Amino acid sequence: MRFTIFQESRKSQRKVNQDRLAYTYSRDTLLLVVADGMGGHAGGEIAAQIAVRLFIERFQQEAKPTLKNPLKFLQDTMLRAHSALGSYANQFSMLETPRTTCVSCIVQSNYAYWAHAGDSRLYLFRQGGLIGQTKDHSKVQYLLDQGIIGAHEVVDHPDRNKIFSCLGGLVDPVIDLSRRTPLRNGDIIVLCTDGLWAVYPQEEIARALTGTPILKACPALMREAEVRGGPDGDNLSLIVVRWGPETLTDEPTTTITETMGLGEFQTEIDRTLTLTDRKGVQRDLTDDEIERAIEEIQATIKRYRR
Amino acid sequence: MGVTNQALPSGYQLLNYRIDRQISRGGFSIVYRAFDDSTAPVAIKEYLPSSLVLRTEGDIVRASSAENLTSFRYGMKCFFEEGRALAKINHPNVVRVLNFFRANETVYMVMRYERGRTLQQQIQLRQDQMSERLVRHVFMHLLNGLREVHTHKLLHLDIKPANVYLRTDGSPVLLDFGAARQTLTSTRPKLAPMYTPGFAAPEQYRDPDRLGPWTDVYGIGASIFACLAAFAPQAADARVTEDHLVSAKKIWAGAYSENLLEVIDWCLKLDPLERPQSVFALQKAIRDIPPKRRKLTFLGNLKKRLFTEVM
Repeated sequence: MRFTIFQESRKSQRKVNQDRLAYTYSRDTLLLVVADGMGGHAGGEIAAQIAVRLFIERFQQEAKPTLKNPLKFLQDTMLRAHSALGSYANQFSMLETPRTTCVSCIVQSNYAYWAHAGDSRLYLFRQGGLIGQTKDHSKVQYLLDQGIIGAHEVVDHPDRNKIFSCLGGLVDPVIDLSRRTPLRNGDIIVLCTDGLWAVYPQEEIARALTGTPILKACPALMREAEVRGGPDGDNLSLIVVRWGPETLTDEPTTTITETMGLGEFQTEIDRTLTLTDRKGVQRDLTDDEIERAIEEIQATIKRYRR
Repeated sequence: MGVTNQALPSGYQLLNYRIDRQISRGGFSIVYRAFDDSTAPVAIKEYLPSSLVLRTEGDIVRASSAENLTSFRYGMKCFFEEGRALAKINHPNVVRVLNFFRANETVYMVMRYERGRTLQQQIQLRQDQMSERLVRHVFMHLLNGLREVHTHKLLHLDIKPANVYLRTDGSPVLLDFGAARQTLTSTRPKLAPMYTPGFAAPEQYRDPDRLGPWTDVYGIGASIFACLAAFAPQAADARVTEDHLVSAKKIWAGAYSENLLEVIDWCLKLDPLERPQSVFALQKAIRDIPPKRRKLTFLGNLKKRLFTEVM
C-alpha cells in the first residue's frame, strides 16, 4: 500500500480534548478511527479512548495481514466498544455511561469500507468532487431530510448537538455501514469531528485538499478552523489520507508498506494534547506507560537493526 | 554551592554494561563511557535532570517530593521522544541507539561510542578560519544524515555545532535528538520546545505550526555561519524585530565561494517559505556550483589525498 496520511487533534478553547483518533496499518490493510466523547467529568475522554483502543487492539489481532470481512470487523468492533463502555460504567458505578461518536474506515486491496455512529464524519473526494460521505445520526440531519429545515440552518441550529446514535449509553447504537467502495490513486479520505466540519462547507474542504500536498493543506485547515471556532471553539480532529503512490506534490512523505513484515503493525494514536491542560500542567507518566514506551523503543531498535 | 546529582562511579555495573567514566553532563542527563559484555565501548545517557536533585548518594534515583516526581516523569517523556526518534534511524551520520532500558528508577539510552570532538570544539580550537573544503565535507555528509532523519518524518530542531560530532576520520555524526519531534503525524510539538538562540529558526519561537524541514535548514545555515564566524548569528527572535544580521555574502566575499555564501544566506531567511524547503533542495544548491579549484598537479593531488586521510 502507498498513501500519505495526516492526523491531528486540537483542544481549541475547550477545557479538555474529548476527541481521540488513531490510525494503524499492517502491510496490506489500513485502519482509521475518530471518536468524539461525550459526558461529564472525564467520561467523554474515557469513552473515546476506550473506543479507539479497542479498534486498534482488535485490528492487530485480526489483520494478519488482511481482514477477512472489513465491514463485519467495523460493525463488531463498534458493538464491542458499546458494551465495553457499559461494563466500564457498571464497574465504576458511574451515574452516566461514558458515550462517544465513532467513525472508522478500512482500506484494503484498493477498496474502502467505513462505518459510523453519531455525527463524526467521513468524506471521500475524487478529483475535487465528493463521491462518498456519512450521514449524521443527528436531529438536525433528520430535520433536514424531512425538509423541515434548510441546509443553511444546520450549523446554527439550537439542537445541532443532539444525536440519536452513539457508542455507550442505554440504547443500542445505530451503525451505518458503507458499501465496498473501489479507490483510485489520488482519492482523498477525510475523517473528522463536528468541531471541524461545522466550520467548513464540504466543498471548501475538497478545494483545500485538492492539488495541494495534504501535509501542507491540513495544518492550514486546522489553524483556520481554530480561528473560525472563535472563543468557544470545539475540539477539532482530522485524519486525511491521500491514497496511492506519491505524486510530485507529496513526495517524499508517502508511507510505503511493502517492506513491512507479516504480523507487523505501525500505529499512531493521537494523544498529543490529552495529557496537557490549558496551563500546560503535565499528567504523570504511569509505570505502565514507561514500560510500554521502553518496549516500543526496543522493538523499534530491533526492527531497524541491519 | 548547591548540591548536585551524583554520577555513577567508575566500575559500576549497570545491567551488562560497566561504567568507565562520565563524558558529559547536560541539563537533563549524564553521559558515560561504558563497556559492554565484549568490552566494546558504548556511550550511555542516563536521564537525570539537573534541576531536580534526585541522587545524592548510591545509584537509585529518588524524587524528594510528589511535585518533583511529576516533573521527573514529565521530563522522561522527552527522553522517550529522543529514544523513539533515534531508534528508527540507522545511518552513518546519525548517532545510533543500541539499547534502551530502565534501571535505578530512571531510564538509560545506550549509543554507539564515537571518537572525536564536537564541531563546536573544532571551531573553538582552530586559530585560523575553517577551510571551505572542510565545511563542505562536514555539511554534505551531515545533510545526508539529516535527510534520513526527515525521511523518517522527524525533525531534529536543535541543530548546532555542539550537536555535531566529528569523528577522527572527519565524518560528522548528528547528536542529541532531545528536541526531536515526530512531526508529520501531528504537527504540534508534544512538549515545551527548547531552542538555542542563534541556531533556532524564528518559527520555533512563535509559530510551532510552521515547523518543517526548513526549520532544520535554518539550523544548518546558522551552523555553517558559525563555522566561518566562530560565533552564532544574531538570534532569530531578535532578528524578527530588528535584523542586524549581515549577509554572509558581504562578510566573507572573496574568502569563500559565492555559492557557499549564497547558500548560507538562503538558509538564514526569516520567512520559512523563502528557505530551501527540503534538505534535498539544499544539497542540490550546494552541489550545483562546485567551488572553483586550481588544477592540481600530481604532487598537489597526492598532498591533498594524504591530508584528507589525516583529517
